[in-house]
Amino acid sequence: MKGVTTYIYRDFIRWIRYRVGVISSLVLPAAWLLFVGLALPVTFTGNYLDFITPGILVMTILTAGISSGSLLMFDKILGFLNKFLAMPVPRESILVSKILFISIRGLIQATIILLIAVLIGATLLNPLQYGLIYLILFLFGVFISAFSTTIALYLNDHDSFAAFTAMVTMPLFFTSSALMPYSSMPTWLSAIAHVNPLSFAIDAIRDVGAGSIPVVSIVLLLVFTTIVAVLAGYVFRKATV
Amino acid sequence: MTAILTEGLTKNFGDLCAVEGLDLSVDKEIFGLLGPNGSGKTTTVLMLTTLLAQTKGSASICGHDTRLDPEKVRDCISYVPQDMAVDTNLTGRENMLIFAWLYGIPNPKDKVDELLAVMELSDRADDLAKTYSGGMRRRLELAEALVHEPEVIFLDEPTIGLDVAARRNIWTHIRKMTRKGMTIFMTTHYMDEADQYCDRVGIISRGKIAALGTPSTLKAHLMKDVITVTIEGDYAPVQLDGSMFVGQSDDSISFTVENGREALPLLADALKQSGNRVKAMSLREPSLDDVFLQSVGKQEEPKGFEEFKFHMMLHRRH
Ligand SMILES: Nc1ncnc2c1ncn2[C@@H]1O[C@H](COP(=O)(O)OP(=O)(O)OP(=O)(O)O)[C@@H](O)[C@H]1O
Ligand SMILES: [Mg+2]
Repeated sequence: MKGVTTYIYRDFIRWIRYRVGVISSLVLPAAWLLFVGLALPVTFTGNYLDFITPGILVMTILTAGISSGSLLMFDKILGFLNKFLAMPVPRESILVSKILFISIRGLIQATIILLIAVLIGATLLNPLQYGLIYLILFLFGVFISAFSTTIALYLNDHDSFAAFTAMVTMPLFFTSSALMPYSSMPTWLSAIAHVNPLSFAIDAIRDVGAGSIPVVSIVLLLVFTTIVAVLAGYVFRKATV
Repeated sequence: MTAILTEGLTKNFGDLCAVEGLDLSVDKEIFGLLGPNGSGKTTTVLMLTTLLAQTKGSASICGHDTRLDPEKVRDCISYVPQDMAVDTNLTGRENMLIFAWLYGIPNPKDKVDELLAVMELSDRADDLAKTYSGGMRRRLELAEALVHEPEVIFLDEPTIGLDVAARRNIWTHIRKMTRKGMTIFMTTHYMDEADQYCDRVGIISRGKIAALGTPSTLKAHLMKDVITVTIEGDYAPVQLDGSMFVGQSDDSISFTVENGREALPLLADALKQSGNRVKAMSLREPSLDDVFLQSVGKQEEPKGFEEFKFHMMLHRRH
């Protein structure tokens, strides 16, 4: 446990010292929200801002999480990983700390988005609803960062990994239910959107916004997250004989 | 209990045999593993620090097997890798604190202060590590490695890329550590350093130990004097009784001889007769460089000749 918190502390300090990174990671989603939520003259639903906010939240977690596999990869390339692996700290705490750090960082960004959304006219929700949204976002964050870390460990080469993330992020976003309701999509898009993991998290958050508790979605998300996390653990152990 | 003990330690990468049948016993001393690039030094260190699984053989650190009991091994070692890994956006103190917390030592703040002082980093402790010189970063890494008072420290090329003063400084600190009963296992390219500071050295060539012993015994194994000849153009081999070819680096060729003064004119004649154009000759006592050159040989040397050389080495060791 001590190991996990120390590793998280290290990554956190390194993140906040890297100011451009912090600012861009906060400005970009905010810009999306302002641009898509306010500037686009679309009227799929009554309050489009309420509709788009879950999409932007999940996208933020996605972009924050998907590139994060490189965090572990850089530690490996720069020789930090070997130093840590030669210590008596349980080795898995390195992996756990990376996944937790990325998820927590995603939640910090999500908080900014939620604040801006309310400021520019999204409906204010009750604390339980916000709690559920955070839970869903956290699970999704763990899901994405474990996935990304697994791919990074597997590819073991920074250029291929960067190509992979670029290839995955945008298509995943545009084929999800983030921007428009299923009813407004062409059938082929709707079919893809229904199996897109992003839609899964987005729909769950919309359900929360609409006043229900999406128990099934949360349980399923938990199951998928666990599977990917176990897979990440397996690949990590194999990569660090 | 012996700090480092290996038996037939072997590592293959596919067809390549990076380390072959390493038998070592190192205890409470500074042991230097010397060898040219790609000879298997880092691979050896990685196996001993539980970071790489060997193909064959076994290694134990302070009595714990590196494969069967890796956690116990990691409890008694520190490892400083070849490439300097210091968080440059963190201060020296922050870098140290992270290690102190990870090792879970009782008074992290005090211990960090103490070690920063030992490594003469106190006045720069709160500056970002990116403002440190190479030598300071190395000292910071050494300080990190000392945080939990390990019994064995592995240093992979601790002085590479440092200037003479910084190297001497690092060595002073390493010497201090052994005085407290620690075992230091280090690799280096610098013969003069190994000669001066290591209690024992092993010369590794293509994954095999080619010579092992204290620097002075290894030098004594060579004949008494060394004659270095600078020639112009290609070297045409010569045979002269009582002299032996050691190796060639660039245009200078070394021979060992029983009696330098007498051999000097004879060798000059022999060289001229076989058509060499001698520019200069000098006579000196053998250095570890000569031992190294003789054990490792030149990469471009014809195969048969090197095998002969290698057997000569083996003969002398037994
Ligand atoms: N992961 C690996 N996969 C394949 N071959 C490897 C791997 N690691 C090392 N080697 C090979 O094993 C041999 C020994 O490498 P090693 O890094 O141990 O050399 P070294 O003595 O530390 O060299 P240097 O002085 O350059 O650091 C080299 O031929 C190298 O190419
Ligand atoms: Mg090396």
